[in-house]
Amino acid sequence: MDTLPREDQSLVERLRDPSQCRAAFNEVKKLYSQPLYWQIRRMVNDHEDANDLLQNTFLKAWSSIDLFRGDAKLSTWLYKIAINESLTHLERERKRLNVSLDDEASHLIHAIEADTNIDGDELCLKLRKAIAQLPEKQRLVFNMKYYDDMKYEQMSEILGTSVGALKASYHIAVKKIEQYFLDND
Amino acid sequence: MKPNDILDKIDHQSGMTVPEGYFEDFAQRMAASLPKQPWEDEAASAGQGAKIAPRSFWQKVRPYVYMAAMFAGIWCMMKMFDLMRPSQNVNIGDNAVLAAALGNDAFMTDYYVNDVDDYELLDNLYSEGFQPASLVFN
Repeated sequence: MDTLPREDQSLVERLRDPSQCRAAFNEVKKLYSQPLYWQIRRMVNDHEDANDLLQNTFLKAWSSIDLFRGDAKLSTWLYKIAINESLTHLERERKRLNVSLDDEASHLIHAIEADTNIDGDELCLKLRKAIAQLPEKQRLVFNMKYYDDMKYEQMSEILGTSVGALKASYHIAVKKIEQYFLDND
Repeated sequence: MKPNDILDKIDHQSGMTVPEGYFEDFAQRMAASLPKQPWEDEAASAGQGAKIAPRSFWQKVRPYVYMAAMFAGIWCMMKMFDLMRPSQNVNIGDNAVLAAALGNDAFMTDYYVNDVDDYELLDNLYSEGFQPASLVFN
């Protein structure tokens, strides 16, 4: 499980100081590259895509660092950028391969089966395939809750959805995964 | 096995890996590829302690003020169009030419009061000595 780094106020202060901003941002990269990478990777499944999207996430964060003034949490801001990047990438891929939203699951399962950067057992692989069947937003919610153990309140800030809706979404996702395991036993 | 048991058994492991040393390489690659920001030079010349100022009250409310001004402008424009449009309740008295014409009996007789009803027709006939018995229908 990837736990989120604790919000460091002095780091935010240094980000707002132009003379220390670059050094502080390098620290941000060290702190957040892993949780953001895994969040992106679980959505797109492919390591190379996840690598490109992680780079884009940090480049976008860096180019708009002067707009980050500490009103929102640093982690929330970075997660928002990473998730937007992931969703935009998935949509771009759907258009490129002419795949509808309904057929995306089979495309993702293909990516999971072709993935060489794995060390999990059959059960992990099956869970990834079950997650691939979920709609995009449900997949996001499930990944954030199950793998990152993120609080619903923070998920709500990142995704702009109410806590109640997130709880319901996670519950439905678990039910769908249950059904997938029953159907593919 | 129920999914909650499965989820417990998997224990939050995704089974995905990254190439060895990936995150260390990534940090170095990113550090080298970050473009220079325009304010970095300014900060270097101004010395340390030049902080990006926190957002002022005006900066926070500015978008809302601009939005309110835009709506007020649209409302004023609509109001102006409404005032420019001719009124639905046209009063003849407001038009001097019409008022003079309607006040003139000769004009009213010649051009306006031109209806001839049954009563008026019969009245004319009787005054000219008309007798109903004289009517013969074949």
